[in-house]
Amino acid sequence: MKKFGNFNIAALVIGFSFLYIPIILLILFSFNESRLVTVWGGFSTKWYGELMQNQGIKDAAWVTIKVAFVSSTVATILGTIAGLVMTRFGNFRGRTLFSGMIYAPMVMPEVIIGLSTLLMFVALAVDRGVFTVTLAHITFSMCYVAVVIQSRMSSYDDSITEAALDLGCTPFRTFILITLPIILPAVISGWLLSFTLSLDDLVIASFTSGPGSTTLPMKIYSMVRLGVTPEINAVSTILVGLVTLGVISASIIGRRQKQNIIKV
Amino acid sequence: MKNKQKIPGPFKSLLSGRFAVIAIPYVWLLSFFLLPFIFVLKISLAEPIMAIPPYTALLNWGDSWLPSIQASLDSYLFLFSDSLYIKAYLSSLKIAIISTILTLIIGYSIAYSVARAPSRWRGILLMLVILPFWTSFLIRVYAWIGILKTEGLLNLALMTIGLIDKPLIIMNTDLAVYIGIVYSYLPFMILPLYANLEKMDMSLLEAAADLGCRPFKTFWTVTVPLSLPGILAGCFLVFIPVMGEFVIPDLLGGSETLMIGKVLWTEFFYNRDWPVASAVAIILLALLVVPIMLYQRSQEKAIS
Amino acid sequence: MSETLTASPWLDSSEKPYIQIENVTKKFGDFTAIDNLKLDIYKNEFFSLLGPSGCGKTTLLRMLAGFEKITDGRILLDGEDISEIPPHLRPINMMFQSYALFPHMTVEKNIAFGLKQDNLPESEIKQRVEEMLELVELTDFAKRKPNQLSGGQSQRVALARSLAKRPKLLLLDEPLGALDKRLREQTQFELMDIQEKLEVTFVIVTHDQEEAMTVSSRIGVMDSGNLVQVATPTEIYEAPINKDVADFIGDVNILQGVYKGQNEVGTQLQSEDSNSIVFATQEVDASPGDKMWFAIRPEKLEISKKKPSDDHNILRGKIEDIAYGGSFSTYHVRLQNGRILKAIRANRERTEEHHLTWEDEVYLQWAPHSAVVLLS
Repeated sequence: MKKFGNFNIAALVIGFSFLYIPIILLILFSFNESRLVTVWGGFSTKWYGELMQNQGIKDAAWVTIKVAFVSSTVATILGTIAGLVMTRFGNFRGRTLFSGMIYAPMVMPEVIIGLSTLLMFVALAVDRGVFTVTLAHITFSMCYVAVVIQSRMSSYDDSITEAALDLGCTPFRTFILITLPIILPAVISGWLLSFTLSLDDLVIASFTSGPGSTTLPMKIYSMVRLGVTPEINAVSTILVGLVTLGVISASIIGRRQKQNIIKV
Repeated sequence: MKNKQKIPGPFKSLLSGRFAVIAIPYVWLLSFFLLPFIFVLKISLAEPIMAIPPYTALLNWGDSWLPSIQASLDSYLFLFSDSLYIKAYLSSLKIAIISTILTLIIGYSIAYSVARAPSRWRGILLMLVILPFWTSFLIRVYAWIGILKTEGLLNLALMTIGLIDKPLIIMNTDLAVYIGIVYSYLPFMILPLYANLEKMDMSLLEAAADLGCRPFKTFWTVTVPLSLPGILAGCFLVFIPVMGEFVIPDLLGGSETLMIGKVLWTEFFYNRDWPVASAVAIILLALLVVPIMLYQRSQEKAIS
Repeated sequence: MSETLTASPWLDSSEKPYIQIENVTKKFGDFTAIDNLKLDIYKNEFFSLLGPSGCGKTTLLRMLAGFEKITDGRILLDGEDISEIPPHLRPINMMFQSYALFPHMTVEKNIAFGLKQDNLPESEIKQRVEEMLELVELTDFAKRKPNQLSGGQSQRVALARSLAKRPKLLLLDEPLGALDKRLREQTQFELMDIQEKLEVTFVIVTHDQEEAMTVSSRIGVMDSGNLVQVATPTEIYEAPINKDVADFIGDVNILQGVYKGQNEVGTQLQSEDSNSIVFATQEVDASPGDKMWFAIRPEKLEISKKKPSDDHNILRGKIEDIAYGGSFSTYHVRLQNGRILKAIRANRERTEEHHLTWEDEVYLQWAPHSAVVLLS
């Protein structure tokens, strides 16, 4: 029962093959000389070169990076506050509604979030564009940050905060000097998570964007609808590479944090 | 709370600071998450017109002092008169349930195996689970098109090894949708399950074995019941968003694959019928309110 | 120690208490954690709050630190009402049970943290940190991070950090709870030395009665939000106020019975455990027929196989269990009525002559002045 048996090995091998083979094939065929996706025509990086010529993709990528950077930064600030409110403010009036608004966006179908946010912008006559996409991204990203912070705070020793207060530090300074540095790894992984969520989002961006604010996923989506091309594979490979880099660095930060927790 | 009037000076400033800190994220979520639903509800009661925005105003400020309310239930009546919508809801429900069960079975085997793996491997295995979770949904779904389509890699591979003579038709069928959903949502199932299974006290299993329980029975009578919170969280994380899934049925499904998320998208972007799209959203939301609240409860319990 | 201090300021009515806890009540919702509690603590005392978990001792400590708001009543420090002062403005420091060292700062920076909040000049901070490091003998560890310290070292850093600001009052929440027994005993003495050297008033919370006995000038025994008895360790041990205190502090044998009156030996008790009347020197204010208890510490019960010559206060029984403790042994003796009493005898002889063993018929006897008479 306790042993790591053949069943476990089989489950892991099959499971991870299922998870990774599609991505590996996608990356592989981005280096395919041939335009045909199923025929290997030799190694080539020409699709990456073509990508560089594609102004539409470059514009979309730039919009996406701007939106992701701003939205993840604001979402991290708001989400960190929300995570602290959830764990350190006890019971206040409206807490259930608050936690509902934190958890619901994480499971709520994106079409609903996208539609509702858009309809509000239209009703309030807000011009759609980079700004509205950013607002929408902040809103759902901050919930993920809040949950990351919340789970970090569950292993945070409150007496550390009390010790700082006890030694004459004001509540605000205590947050800046003590709490924030200690939970910083969680804040950083919250930021990275928001950044990739924003980078990946198709549905909500499709609803809330306007002319001139086509994001990269929207661009990819419109290309995908026209068929599978090595160019899409190439841009996907770049995105996958960036995210992989981010996850690995986040996990290294996280591991260091964990080691500190264990020793303290 | 009875001693409210006795809050001393310095504490009062702390309390007002506390109020501001709560208010910042609270007001944000109220205005950008909750408030929009009021507008959805409002527009679902309007009528479509050819204009910008393409719906009638709910309140009409004519010459009178009081606005006249022009609410119309037409959109809702339309949803129930055309069997397409009811079929789409039912079909979404069916697809969500079946794919949740499939994801649970596969996800449990993986999560369980990761949790039982030697501890030096666990970190790397867990990262392998998380990595796809962070990778773009769209890209992961796209990756399957090249594999599943008639002249795709799967058929090529199967025909090369001589398992089949004619290509299988998987692309643009419900099967492709199931594959896409299970693939995309697997990490959402594995992570809560792993978090739960990893914490499980191994001595419980040893105690069961010590008391004469056979391994298979121990699994069903000890491991599974104890991992129930993880199972619930994982199932909610898959079932609820899949109910409104758009990208997967759109890219992998065929013309006969009916899912309500796709219907909403079509009504909104292609038919430009905003009131009907809103009504579709409101009914979907009504169907999902209870599962979402159950999910919230299970998460709060897990944290505290 | 300065000579002006009286050894027992609480006995001197002209002495002004340093900390005055005046009718303090603390409620958490419907639950009353502290119930109208009154307590005076004097300057330079080493005061222990002792009690089972959930008795309110930690809540009281946290109210002194300012982490819990007082529901009713007030707390004065050196004559000044501090009830409304938030924790970061109180001249009181606390040493936390978990030590609460800042994990991202070195030992040095941890100790300097409080001083920096007061904006002291850099040179003075440096000097005081060095002083503190010397005091707790951690000079060589100044640059280490908390995760590179042992439990005992962390404990000393926490102590140094809380003392660095020279607080008027130091609160210690189970300061030695996380240390193993040997280290704990050693640290108890270090704590006492430091307290005397720095002349700081200490209030310590502990559930370890031996620790409280060792370090304290006085002990406040708490139960369900109230102080049951406040007295010196000796008084608490030798003259507990009721059965609960007697039972909580150390081992005790309680004989239950009915008051028979007073005679030339002392208080007479008709006990259910004895056929004849038993005596205690202590006089009480009671009337015949009242319920009453004698508390006798196990080491005050003489145990022997020979019948004592004096026939006062004799109980007979059979040895049922022996717990060998090296320097002494504890004997569990079953009386004829089935009750079990404990007697402790020092193992002074290595020979077999005085040897007592299982199933031996023995006599238990105590001197009338060794029993404490309890009315509740």
